[in-house]
Amino acid sequence: MNRIISSELFKLRTTRTFYALAGSALGIVLLITVAAALATKFRGSDGNRPEDLLGIGNFAQIFALILGILAVTTEFRHGTITPSLLAVPDRVRLTLGKFGASLLVGLALGILSVGISTLLVLGLLSARGVDTDFPSGEVLYSVLGGILAVVLYAGIGVGVGAIVRNQVGAIVGALVWLFVVEGLLGIIPTVGDWISEYGPGGAGSALGDSSADRGSHTMDQLPAGLVLAAYCLLFLVVGVHMMRRRDITA
Amino acid sequence: MTHAIEVSHLTKRFGEVLAVDDLSFTADYGKIVGFLGQNGAGKTTTLRILLGLSNATGGTTSVAGKPYARLEDPLGTVGAVLDGGKFHPGRTGLNHVRALALAAGLPQTRADEVLEMVGLSEAARRRAGGYSLGMRQRLGLAAALLGDPKILVLDEPANGLDPQGIRWLRDFLRHLASQGCAIVVSSHLLSEIAQTVDEVVVIGKGRSIAQAPINELMARGQGGIRVAGPDVVRLRGLLEADGAAVSGDASGLVVADRTGEQIGRVIAANAIVISELAQISQSLEDVFFELTDTATTEVPS
Repeated sequence: MNRIISSELFKLRTTRTFYALAGSALGIVLLITVAAALATKFRGSDGNRPEDLLGIGNFAQIFALILGILAVTTEFRHGTITPSLLAVPDRVRLTLGKFGASLLVGLALGILSVGISTLLVLGLLSARGVDTDFPSGEVLYSVLGGILAVVLYAGIGVGVGAIVRNQVGAIVGALVWLFVVEGLLGIIPTVGDWISEYGPGGAGSALGDSSADRGSHTMDQLPAGLVLAAYCLLFLVVGVHMMRRRDITA
Repeated sequence: MTHAIEVSHLTKRFGEVLAVDDLSFTADYGKIVGFLGQNGAGKTTTLRILLGLSNATGGTTSVAGKPYARLEDPLGTVGAVLDGGKFHPGRTGLNHVRALALAAGLPQTRADEVLEMVGLSEAARRRAGGYSLGMRQRLGLAAALLGDPKILVLDEPANGLDPQGIRWLRDFLRHLASQGCAIVVSSHLLSEIAQTVDEVVVIGKGRSIAQAPINELMARGQGGIRVAGPDVVRLRGLLEADGAAVSGDASGLVVADRTGEQIGRVIAANAIVISELAQISQSLEDVFFELTDTATTEVPS
Protein backbone atom coordinates (compact mmCIF):
# COMPACT_ATOMS: atom_id res chain seq x y z
CA MET A 1 0.00 0.00 0.00
CA ASN A 2 2.88 2.34 0.83
CA ARG A 3 4.32 2.10 -2.65
CA ILE A 4 0.94 2.80 -4.22
CA ILE A 5 0.60 5.93 -2.09
CA SER A 6 4.11 7.09 -2.92
CA SER A 7 3.42 6.47 -6.62
CA GLU A 8 0.23 8.53 -6.35
CA LEU A 9 2.05 11.36 -4.57
CA PHE A 10 4.72 11.23 -7.27
CA LYS A 11 2.04 11.46 -9.97
CA LEU A 12 0.56 14.51 -8.29
CA ARG A 13 3.82 16.38 -7.92
CA THR A 14 4.99 15.72 -11.48
CA THR A 15 2.27 17.83 -13.09
CA ARG A 16 1.96 21.59 -13.15
CA THR A 17 -1.77 21.50 -12.40
CA PHE A 18 -1.01 20.37 -8.87
CA TYR A 19 1.35 23.27 -8.17
CA ALA A 20 -0.97 25.77 -9.82
CA LEU A 21 -3.89 24.60 -7.73
CA ALA A 22 -2.07 24.28 -4.41
CA GLY A 23 -0.25 27.55 -5.07
CA SER A 24 -3.42 29.48 -5.85
CA ALA A 25 -5.13 27.99 -2.80
CA LEU A 26 -2.37 29.25 -0.54
CA GLY A 27 -1.99 32.50 -2.43
CA ILE A 28 -5.66 33.40 -2.23
CA VAL A 29 -6.00 32.40 1.41
CA LEU A 30 -2.90 34.31 2.49
CA LEU A 31 -3.70 37.39 0.41
CA ILE A 32 -7.19 37.64 1.81
CA THR A 33 -5.95 36.97 5.33
CA VAL A 34 -3.46 39.84 5.12
CA ALA A 35 -5.97 42.19 3.50
CA ALA A 36 -8.68 41.35 6.00
CA ALA A 37 -6.37 41.53 9.00
CA LEU A 38 -5.15 44.96 7.94
CA ALA A 39 -8.41 46.48 6.77
CA THR A 40 -11.17 45.09 8.99
CA LYS A 41 -12.52 47.53 11.54
CA PHE A 42 -13.29 46.11 14.94
CA ARG A 43 -15.48 48.36 16.98
CA GLY A 44 -17.38 47.30 20.05
CA SER A 45 -20.29 44.90 19.96
CA ASP A 46 -21.79 45.96 16.61
CA GLY A 47 -18.52 45.57 14.64
CA ASN A 48 -16.65 42.52 13.38
CA ARG A 49 -15.17 40.11 15.86
CA PRO A 50 -11.45 39.41 15.51
CA GLU A 51 -12.09 35.66 15.71
CA ASP A 52 -14.15 35.81 12.51
CA LEU A 53 -10.88 36.18 10.63
CA LEU A 54 -9.66 32.82 11.88
CA GLY A 55 -11.87 31.00 9.41
CA ILE A 56 -10.22 32.32 6.24
CA GLY A 57 -7.86 29.33 5.98
CA ASN A 58 -10.90 27.09 5.62
CA PHE A 59 -11.26 28.19 2.00
CA ALA A 60 -8.55 25.63 1.30
CA GLN A 61 -11.30 23.00 1.72
CA ILE A 62 -12.57 23.73 -1.80
CA PHE A 63 -9.09 23.41 -3.29
CA ALA A 64 -8.51 20.17 -1.40
CA LEU A 65 -11.79 18.86 -2.78
CA ILE A 66 -10.67 19.68 -6.34
CA LEU A 67 -7.24 18.11 -5.77
CA GLY A 68 -8.93 14.92 -4.59
CA ILE A 69 -11.20 14.92 -7.63
CA LEU A 70 -8.18 15.46 -9.91
CA ALA A 71 -6.27 12.55 -8.34
CA VAL A 72 -8.85 10.21 -9.90
CA THR A 73 -10.30 12.03 -12.89
CA THR A 74 -6.99 13.13 -14.42
CA GLU A 75 -6.17 9.46 -14.94
CA PHE A 76 -9.44 8.92 -16.76
CA ARG A 77 -9.12 12.12 -18.75
CA HIS A 78 -5.71 11.23 -20.13
CA GLY A 79 -6.22 7.47 -20.13
CA THR A 80 -3.31 6.92 -17.75
CA ILE A 81 -5.68 4.85 -15.61
CA THR A 82 -4.83 1.97 -17.99
CA PRO A 83 -1.07 1.80 -17.26
CA SER A 84 -1.79 2.59 -13.61
CA LEU A 85 -4.13 -0.39 -13.32
CA LEU A 86 -1.70 -2.62 -15.19
CA ALA A 87 0.82 -1.86 -12.43
CA VAL A 88 -1.80 -2.15 -9.66
CA PRO A 89 -4.55 -4.43 -11.04
CA ASP A 90 -6.62 -4.31 -7.86
CA ARG A 91 -8.92 -1.35 -8.48
CA VAL A 92 -9.85 -1.13 -4.81
CA ARG A 93 -6.20 -0.87 -3.75
CA LEU A 94 -5.46 1.73 -6.41
CA THR A 95 -8.44 3.82 -5.29
CA LEU A 96 -7.42 3.49 -1.65
CA GLY A 97 -3.88 4.52 -2.63
CA LYS A 98 -5.28 7.66 -4.25
CA PHE A 99 -7.39 8.24 -1.15
CA GLY A 100 -4.36 7.94 1.14
CA ALA A 101 -2.22 10.20 -1.03
CA SER A 102 -4.97 12.81 -1.21
CA LEU A 103 -5.42 12.80 2.57
CA LEU A 104 -1.69 13.48 2.92
CA VAL A 105 -1.83 16.29 0.37
CA GLY A 106 -4.90 17.64 2.18
CA LEU A 107 -2.99 17.51 5.46
CA ALA A 108 -0.10 19.51 4.02
CA LEU A 109 -2.44 22.01 2.39
CA GLY A 110 -4.49 22.30 5.58
CA ILE A 111 -1.48 22.88 7.82
CA LEU A 112 -0.09 25.48 5.46
CA SER A 113 -3.27 27.40 4.76
CA VAL A 114 -5.04 27.20 8.12
CA GLY A 115 -1.82 27.39 10.13
CA ILE A 116 -0.19 30.28 8.30
CA SER A 117 -3.47 32.15 7.98
CA THR A 118 -4.05 31.88 11.74
CA LEU A 119 -0.51 32.97 12.59
CA LEU A 120 -0.83 35.94 10.24
CA VAL A 121 -4.15 37.01 11.74
CA LEU A 122 -2.79 36.81 15.27
CA GLY A 123 0.43 38.59 14.35
CA LEU A 124 -1.12 41.37 12.29
CA LEU A 125 -3.94 42.03 14.75
CA SER A 126 -1.63 42.28 17.72
CA ALA A 127 0.62 44.57 15.65
CA ARG A 128 -2.44 46.77 15.12
CA GLY A 129 -3.15 46.66 18.81
CA VAL A 130 -6.42 44.74 18.40
CA ASP A 131 -7.26 42.55 21.38
CA THR A 132 -6.51 38.94 20.37
CA ASP A 133 -7.07 37.48 23.78
CA PHE A 134 -9.48 34.80 22.50
CA PRO A 135 -11.00 32.29 24.90
CA SER A 136 -8.45 29.64 25.78
CA GLY A 137 -8.23 26.73 23.36
CA GLU A 138 -10.48 28.44 20.83
CA VAL A 139 -7.65 29.20 18.42
CA LEU A 140 -6.08 25.79 18.80
CA TYR A 141 -9.36 23.93 18.25
CA SER A 142 -10.23 26.11 15.25
CA VAL A 143 -6.86 25.36 13.70
CA LEU A 144 -7.05 21.62 14.34
CA GLY A 145 -10.65 21.42 13.15
CA GLY A 146 -9.83 23.52 10.11
CA ILE A 147 -6.92 21.26 9.12
CA LEU A 148 -9.05 18.15 9.61
CA ALA A 149 -11.80 19.64 7.44
CA VAL A 150 -9.30 20.24 4.60
CA VAL A 151 -8.06 16.64 4.92
CA LEU A 152 -11.59 15.22 4.83
CA TYR A 153 -12.53 17.38 1.86
CA ALA A 154 -9.56 15.97 -0.09
CA GLY A 155 -10.86 12.49 0.75
CA ILE A 156 -14.39 13.40 -0.36
CA GLY A 157 -12.85 14.59 -3.65
CA VAL A 158 -11.42 11.12 -4.35
CA GLY A 159 -14.82 9.53 -3.74
CA VAL A 160 -16.56 12.07 -5.98
CA GLY A 161 -13.93 11.52 -8.70
CA ALA A 162 -14.37 7.75 -8.56
CA ILE A 163 -18.13 8.16 -8.92
CA VAL A 164 -18.10 10.88 -11.59
CA ARG A 165 -15.05 10.06 -13.70
CA ASN A 166 -15.56 12.94 -16.08
CA GLN A 167 -13.21 15.63 -14.81
CA VAL A 168 -15.23 18.66 -15.77
CA GLY A 169 -18.45 17.03 -14.64
CA ALA A 170 -17.02 16.09 -11.25
CA ILE A 171 -15.52 19.51 -10.51
CA VAL A 172 -18.47 21.51 -11.79
CA GLY A 173 -20.89 19.19 -10.01
CA ALA A 174 -19.07 19.51 -6.70
CA LEU A 175 -18.81 23.30 -6.91
CA VAL A 176 -22.42 23.70 -8.02
CA TRP A 177 -23.52 21.59 -5.06
CA LEU A 178 -21.50 23.64 -2.58
CA PHE A 179 -22.22 27.09 -3.97
CA VAL A 180 -25.60 26.79 -5.64
CA VAL A 181 -27.57 23.75 -4.54
CA GLU A 182 -26.89 24.06 -0.81
CA GLY A 183 -27.82 27.73 -1.07
CA LEU A 184 -31.03 27.04 -3.01
CA LEU A 185 -32.10 24.25 -0.68
CA GLY A 186 -31.51 26.74 2.14
CA ILE A 187 -34.55 28.66 0.94
CA ILE A 188 -36.88 25.76 1.68
CA PRO A 189 -37.99 25.82 5.32
CA THR A 190 -36.86 22.89 7.53
CA VAL A 191 -34.91 21.27 4.65
CA GLY A 192 -32.84 24.43 4.45
CA ASP A 193 -32.02 24.36 8.14
CA TRP A 194 -31.13 20.70 7.90
CA ILE A 195 -28.84 21.24 4.88
CA SER A 196 -27.06 24.23 6.34
CA GLU A 197 -26.47 22.29 9.54
CA TYR A 198 -25.74 18.79 8.29
CA GLY A 199 -24.82 19.26 4.60
CA PRO A 200 -21.18 18.80 3.53
CA GLY A 201 -20.69 22.56 3.27
CA GLY A 202 -22.21 23.28 6.68
CA ALA A 203 -20.33 20.46 8.36
CA GLY A 204 -17.05 21.68 6.83
CA SER A 205 -17.54 25.22 8.11
CA ALA A 206 -18.63 24.01 11.54
CA LEU A 207 -15.59 21.77 11.90
CA GLY A 208 -13.23 24.68 11.34
CA ASP A 209 -14.97 26.97 13.81
CA SER A 210 -14.68 26.54 17.56
CA SER A 211 -16.01 29.93 18.58
CA ALA A 212 -18.65 29.89 21.29
CA ASP A 213 -20.87 32.36 19.47
CA ARG A 214 -22.11 30.19 16.60
CA GLY A 215 -25.14 30.40 14.38
CA SER A 216 -28.27 28.53 15.42
CA HIS A 217 -27.89 25.86 12.74
CA THR A 218 -24.26 25.01 13.28
CA MET A 219 -23.04 21.79 14.85
CA ASP A 220 -20.35 21.69 17.48
CA GLN A 221 -16.91 20.69 16.23
CA LEU A 222 -17.04 17.05 17.32
CA PRO A 223 -20.36 16.15 15.68
CA ALA A 224 -19.37 18.25 12.66
CA GLY A 225 -16.16 16.24 12.34
CA LEU A 226 -18.06 12.97 12.61
CA VAL A 227 -20.64 14.05 10.03
CA LEU A 228 -17.93 15.17 7.58
CA ALA A 229 -16.00 11.93 8.14
CA ALA A 230 -19.21 10.03 7.43
CA TYR A 231 -19.63 11.90 4.13
CA CYS A 232 -16.01 11.09 3.29
CA LEU A 233 -16.53 7.40 4.02
CA LEU A 234 -19.83 7.29 2.13
CA PHE A 235 -18.33 8.80 -1.03
CA LEU A 236 -15.31 6.50 -0.74
CA VAL A 237 -17.40 3.34 -0.36
CA VAL A 238 -19.68 4.25 -3.26
CA GLY A 239 -16.66 5.32 -5.35
CA VAL A 240 -14.78 2.08 -4.69
CA HIS A 241 -17.88 0.08 -5.54
CA MET A 242 -18.28 1.96 -8.84
CA MET A 243 -14.59 1.49 -9.68
CA ARG A 244 -14.98 -2.23 -9.18
CA ARG A 245 -18.16 -2.60 -11.13
CA ARG A 246 -17.56 -0.44 -14.17
CA ASP A 247 -15.22 -1.28 -17.03
CA ILE A 248 -12.15 0.87 -17.40
CA THR A 249 -12.59 2.23 -20.90
CA ALA A 250 -10.57 5.43 -20.82
CA MET B 1 2.86 -26.58 -19.19
CA THR B 2 0.37 -23.77 -18.81
CA HIS B 3 -0.06 -21.42 -21.72
CA ALA B 4 1.36 -17.93 -21.36
CA ILE B 5 -2.04 -16.61 -22.27
CA GLU B 6 -5.28 -18.51 -22.38
CA VAL B 7 -8.63 -17.12 -23.39
CA SER B 8 -11.42 -19.60 -22.94
CA HIS B 9 -15.02 -19.22 -24.14
CA LEU B 10 -14.83 -15.50 -23.49
CA THR B 11 -18.02 -13.51 -23.94
CA LYS B 12 -18.56 -9.79 -23.49
CA ARG B 13 -21.88 -8.06 -23.94
CA PHE B 14 -22.37 -4.30 -24.12
CA GLY B 15 -26.11 -3.93 -23.80
CA GLU B 16 -27.53 -5.39 -27.01
CA VAL B 17 -24.17 -5.82 -28.68
CA LEU B 18 -22.21 -9.03 -28.29
CA ALA B 19 -18.68 -7.66 -28.69
CA VAL B 20 -16.91 -10.94 -27.92
CA ASP B 21 -18.68 -14.20 -28.56
CA ASP B 22 -17.35 -17.49 -27.16
CA LEU B 23 -13.77 -16.63 -28.09
CA SER B 24 -10.94 -19.04 -27.28
CA PHE B 25 -7.26 -18.91 -28.12
CA THR B 26 -3.86 -19.43 -26.54
CA ALA B 27 -0.37 -17.98 -26.79
CA ASP B 28 2.83 -19.73 -25.78
CA TYR B 29 6.31 -18.74 -24.72
CA GLY B 30 8.87 -18.09 -27.43
CA LYS B 31 6.23 -17.23 -30.01
CA ILE B 32 4.72 -14.09 -31.43
CA VAL B 33 1.00 -14.40 -31.97
CA GLY B 34 -0.78 -11.97 -34.25
CA PHE B 35 -4.28 -11.13 -33.07
CA LEU B 36 -6.07 -10.08 -36.21
CA GLY B 37 -9.44 -8.68 -36.99
CA GLN B 38 -11.05 -5.73 -38.66
CA ASN B 39 -11.78 -2.60 -36.66
CA GLY B 40 -14.57 -3.35 -34.22
CA ALA B 41 -14.00 -7.10 -34.33
CA GLY B 42 -13.46 -7.19 -30.56
CA LYS B 43 -9.65 -7.22 -30.35
CA THR B 44 -9.21 -4.40 -27.87
CA THR B 45 -12.18 -5.52 -25.78
CA THR B 46 -10.64 -8.98 -25.52
CA LEU B 47 -7.24 -7.61 -24.51
CA ARG B 48 -8.81 -5.27 -21.93
CA ILE B 49 -10.62 -8.19 -20.34
CA LEU B 50 -7.43 -10.26 -20.45
CA LEU B 51 -5.66 -7.48 -18.54
CA GLY B 52 -8.38 -7.09 -15.92
CA LEU B 53 -9.54 -3.68 -17.14
CA SER B 54 -12.97 -4.80 -18.26
CA ASN B 55 -15.15 -7.42 -16.66
CA ALA B 56 -16.09 -10.44 -18.78
CA THR B 57 -19.74 -11.36 -19.25
CA GLY B 58 -18.78 -15.02 -19.45
CA GLY B 59 -15.77 -17.27 -19.90
CA THR B 60 -12.30 -16.97 -18.43
CA THR B 61 -8.92 -15.49 -19.25
CA SER B 62 -5.59 -16.25 -17.65
CA VAL B 63 -2.09 -14.91 -17.88
CA ALA B 64 0.73 -17.20 -16.71
CA GLY B 65 -2.00 -19.46 -15.33
CA LYS B 66 -3.89 -16.84 -13.30
CA PRO B 67 -6.45 -14.11 -13.89
CA TYR B 68 -4.52 -10.84 -14.31
CA ALA B 69 -5.95 -9.27 -11.16
CA ARG B 70 -4.61 -12.13 -9.06
CA LEU B 71 -1.00 -11.94 -10.29
CA GLU B 72 1.41 -11.24 -7.45
CA ASP B 73 3.86 -9.33 -9.62
CA PRO B 74 1.78 -8.04 -12.55
CA LEU B 75 4.45 -5.89 -14.22
CA GLY B 76 7.05 -8.62 -13.76
CA THR B 77 4.71 -11.11 -15.43
CA VAL B 78 3.04 -9.18 -18.23
CA GLY B 79 3.91 -5.99 -20.05
CA ALA B 80 1.13 -4.38 -22.03
CA VAL B 81 0.50 -1.39 -24.21
CA LEU B 82 -3.11 -0.51 -24.97
CA ASP B 83 -4.33 2.35 -27.16
CA GLY B 84 -0.77 3.22 -28.08
CA GLY B 85 0.04 3.96 -24.46
CA LYS B 86 -1.58 6.81 -22.58
CA PHE B 87 0.24 9.66 -20.89
CA HIS B 88 -0.40 12.86 -19.03
CA PRO B 89 0.76 15.47 -21.56
CA GLY B 90 2.32 17.62 -18.85
CA ARG B 91 4.40 14.85 -17.30
CA THR B 92 7.82 13.92 -18.69
CA GLY B 93 8.33 10.50 -20.22
CA LEU B 94 10.78 9.62 -17.47
CA ASN B 95 8.37 10.62 -14.69
CA HIS B 96 5.58 8.64 -16.32
CA VAL B 97 7.68 5.49 -16.19
CA ARG B 98 9.00 6.34 -12.70
CA ALA B 99 5.48 6.62 -11.28
CA LEU B 100 4.73 3.12 -12.56
CA ALA B 101 8.06 1.80 -11.23
CA LEU B 102 7.18 3.22 -7.81
CA ALA B 103 3.78 1.54 -7.84
CA ALA B 104 5.36 -1.79 -8.82
CA GLY B 105 8.14 -1.50 -6.25
CA LEU B 106 10.86 -1.40 -8.90
CA PRO B 107 14.03 0.69 -8.54
CA GLN B 108 13.98 4.13 -10.16
CA THR B 109 17.09 3.26 -12.19
CA ARG B 110 14.96 0.70 -14.04
CA ALA B 111 13.03 3.62 -15.58
CA ASP B 112 16.19 4.94 -17.23
CA GLU B 113 17.08 1.43 -18.42
CA VAL B 114 13.82 0.77 -20.24
CA LEU B 115 13.85 4.21 -21.86
CA GLU B 116 17.34 3.41 -23.10
CA MET B 117 16.10 0.06 -24.45
CA VAL B 118 13.47 1.72 -26.62
CA GLY B 119 15.81 4.52 -27.68
CA LEU B 120 14.03 7.30 -25.83
CA SER B 121 16.78 8.44 -23.45
CA GLU B 122 17.26 11.80 -25.09
CA ALA B 123 13.59 12.77 -24.90
CA ALA B 124 13.09 11.30 -21.43
CA ARG B 125 13.08 14.65 -19.65
CA ARG B 126 10.66 16.32 -22.05
CA ARG B 127 6.91 16.49 -21.51
CA ALA B 128 5.14 13.58 -23.19
CA GLY B 129 2.62 15.98 -24.74
CA GLY B 130 5.27 17.02 -27.24
CA TYR B 131 6.15 13.47 -28.30
CA SER B 132 5.50 12.23 -31.82
CA LEU B 133 3.20 9.24 -32.31
CA GLY B 134 6.23 6.99 -32.74
CA MET B 135 7.80 8.28 -29.53
CA ARG B 136 4.55 7.65 -27.68
CA GLN B 137 4.52 4.06 -28.89
CA ARG B 138 8.07 3.68 -27.65
CA LEU B 139 7.23 5.21 -24.29
CA GLY B 140 4.32 2.81 -23.94
CA LEU B 141 6.64 -0.06 -24.78
CA ALA B 142 9.19 1.20 -22.24
CA ALA B 143 6.50 1.12 -19.53
CA ALA B 144 5.54 -2.40 -20.60
CA LEU B 145 9.14 -3.58 -20.28
CA LEU B 146 9.60 -2.16 -16.75
CA GLY B 147 9.22 -5.41 -14.86
CA ASP B 148 11.19 -7.44 -17.44
CA PRO B 149 8.09 -9.56 -18.18
CA LYS B 150 8.03 -12.84 -20.08
CA ILE B 151 4.68 -12.03 -21.66
CA LEU B 152 3.91 -8.98 -23.77
CA VAL B 153 0.49 -7.83 -24.95
CA LEU B 154 0.59 -5.05 -27.50
CA ASP B 155 -2.53 -3.50 -28.98
CA GLU B 156 -1.86 -2.11 -32.47
CA PRO B 157 1.79 -1.35 -31.66
CA ALA B 158 2.62 -0.41 -35.23
CA ASN B 159 0.02 2.37 -35.37
CA GLY B 160 1.72 5.65 -36.11
CA LEU B 161 5.15 4.14 -36.63
CA ASP B 162 7.05 5.05 -39.78
CA PRO B 163 8.57 2.22 -41.86
CA GLN B 164 11.83 2.49 -39.91
CA GLY B 165 9.90 2.30 -36.65
CA ILE B 166 8.01 -0.78 -37.82
CA ARG B 167 11.29 -2.40 -38.81
CA TRP B 168 12.73 -1.56 -35.40
CA LEU B 169 9.66 -2.92 -33.62
CA ARG B 170 9.79 -6.13 -35.65
CA ASP B 171 13.45 -6.74 -34.79
CA PHE B 172 12.84 -5.84 -31.16
CA LEU B 173 9.92 -8.27 -30.80
CA ARG B 174 11.83 -11.01 -32.63
CA HIS B 175 14.69 -10.52 -30.19
CA LEU B 176 12.34 -10.79 -27.19
CA ALA B 177 10.65 -13.90 -28.60
CA SER B 178 14.03 -15.53 -29.17
CA GLN B 179 14.64 -15.02 -25.46
CA GLY B 180 11.52 -17.00 -24.68
CA CYS B 181 8.90 -14.28 -24.38
CA ALA B 182 5.32 -14.86 -25.38
CA ILE B 183 4.08 -11.91 -27.38
CA VAL B 184 0.56 -11.09 -28.55
CA VAL B 185 0.34 -8.33 -31.13
CA SER B 186 -3.03 -7.14 -32.31
CA SER B 187 -3.54 -5.52 -35.68
CA HIS B 188 -6.18 -4.83 -38.27
CA LEU B 189 -3.55 -4.98 -41.00
CA LEU B 190 -2.22 -8.43 -41.76
CA SER B 191 0.60 -7.12 -43.93
CA GLU B 192 1.87 -5.08 -41.01
CA ILE B 193 2.59 -8.12 -38.88
CA ALA B 194 2.78 -11.00 -41.37
CA GLN B 195 6.57 -10.89 -41.31
CA THR B 196 6.74 -10.68 -37.55
CA VAL B 197 4.39 -13.31 -36.21
CA ASP B 198 4.65 -17.08 -35.88
CA GLU B 199 0.99 -17.72 -35.36
CA VAL B 200 -2.21 -15.91 -36.19
CA VAL B 201 -5.52 -15.74 -34.39
CA VAL B 202 -8.16 -14.23 -36.66
CA ILE B 203 -11.39 -12.94 -35.18
CA GLY B 204 -14.46 -11.41 -36.74
CA LYS B 205 -17.53 -10.08 -34.95
CA GLY B 206 -16.08 -11.29 -31.68
CA ARG B 207 -15.78 -14.89 -32.82
CA SER B 208 -12.64 -16.88 -33.48
CA ILE B 209 -12.28 -17.62 -37.17
CA ALA B 210 -8.92 -19.29 -37.22
CA GLN B 211 -5.88 -19.95 -35.08
CA ALA B 212 -3.01 -21.32 -37.12
CA PRO B 213 0.70 -20.95 -37.74
CA ILE B 214 1.26 -18.16 -40.24
CA ASN B 215 2.72 -20.64 -42.77
CA GLU B 216 -0.41 -22.72 -42.69
CA LEU B 217 -2.54 -19.66 -43.21
CA MET B 218 -0.35 -18.68 -46.14
CA ALA B 219 -0.72 -22.17 -47.59
CA ARG B 220 -4.48 -21.69 -47.63
CA GLY B 221 -3.90 -18.78 -49.92
CA GLN B 222 -1.88 -20.75 -52.42
CA GLY B 223 -3.25 -20.52 -55.90
CA GLY B 224 -1.21 -23.34 -57.48
CA ILE B 225 1.97 -23.58 -59.55
CA ARG B 226 2.60 -21.48 -62.58
CA VAL B 227 4.67 -22.97 -65.41
CA ALA B 228 5.76 -21.12 -68.57
CA GLY B 229 8.01 -21.97 -71.50
CA PRO B 230 7.98 -22.89 -75.22
CA ASP B 231 6.75 -26.44 -74.64
CA VAL B 232 3.98 -26.00 -72.09
CA VAL B 233 1.27 -27.34 -74.34
CA ARG B 234 3.02 -30.70 -74.36
CA LEU B 235 3.47 -30.51 -70.58
CA ARG B 236 -0.23 -29.81 -70.22
CA GLY B 237 -1.08 -32.96 -72.11
CA LEU B 238 1.21 -35.04 -69.91
CA LEU B 239 -0.13 -33.56 -66.68
CA GLU B 240 -3.75 -33.93 -67.72
CA ALA B 241 -3.09 -37.54 -68.72
CA ASP B 242 -1.98 -37.96 -65.08
CA GLY B 243 -5.25 -36.45 -63.85
CA ALA B 244 -3.96 -33.04 -62.76
CA ALA B 245 -6.17 -29.94 -62.85
CA VAL B 246 -4.53 -27.60 -65.33
CA SER B 247 -5.68 -24.24 -66.60
CA GLY B 248 -4.09 -21.52 -68.70
CA ASP B 249 -2.86 -21.43 -72.29
CA ALA B 250 0.31 -21.57 -74.36
CA SER B 251 1.71 -18.50 -72.62
CA GLY B 252 1.63 -20.23 -69.26
CA LEU B 253 -0.09 -22.95 -67.24
CA VAL B 254 -1.47 -22.97 -63.76
CA VAL B 255 -1.50 -26.35 -62.03
CA ALA B 256 -3.75 -26.45 -59.02
CA ASP B 257 -3.11 -29.82 -57.42
CA ARG B 258 0.54 -30.72 -57.95
CA THR B 259 3.59 -29.57 -56.03
CA GLY B 260 6.46 -27.85 -57.78
CA GLU B 261 8.58 -30.93 -57.30
CA GLN B 262 6.00 -33.26 -58.86
CA ILE B 263 5.76 -31.04 -61.91
CA GLY B 264 9.54 -30.75 -62.02
CA ARG B 265 9.87 -34.52 -62.21
CA VAL B 266 7.47 -34.68 -65.16
CA ILE B 267 9.45 -31.93 -66.85
CA ALA B 268 12.77 -33.71 -66.27
CA ALA B 269 11.46 -37.13 -67.32
CA ASN B 270 10.22 -35.70 -70.61
CA ALA B 271 13.07 -33.26 -71.24
CA ILE B 272 10.74 -30.29 -71.56
CA VAL B 273 12.23 -26.80 -71.78
CA ILE B 274 10.60 -24.31 -69.38
CA SER B 275 11.33 -20.71 -68.56
CA GLU B 276 9.43 -20.43 -65.30
CA LEU B 277 8.17 -22.59 -62.46
CA ALA B 278 6.72 -20.67 -59.58
CA GLN B 279 4.33 -20.88 -56.67
CA ILE B 280 1.41 -18.50 -57.03
CA SER B 281 0.50 -16.94 -53.72
CA GLN B 282 -2.73 -15.22 -53.17
CA SER B 283 -1.82 -12.21 -51.07
CA LEU B 284 -2.21 -12.73 -47.36
CA GLU B 285 -4.47 -9.75 -47.36
CA ASP B 286 -6.85 -11.67 -49.66
CA VAL B 287 -6.83 -14.66 -47.32
CA PHE B 288 -7.55 -12.35 -44.43
CA PHE B 289 -10.46 -10.71 -46.21
CA GLU B 290 -11.82 -14.07 -47.26
CA LEU B 291 -11.74 -15.27 -43.66
CA THR B 292 -13.23 -12.17 -42.13
CA ASP B 293 -15.84 -11.81 -44.86
CA THR B 294 -17.04 -15.33 -44.19
CA ALA B 295 -17.48 -14.41 -40.56
CA THR B 296 -19.36 -11.27 -41.43
CA THR B 297 -21.77 -12.98 -43.79
CA GLU B 298 -22.33 -15.97 -41.51
CA VAL B 299 -24.00 -13.80 -38.92
CA PRO B 300 -27.19 -12.23 -40.24
CA SER B 301 -27.90 -8.91 -38.61
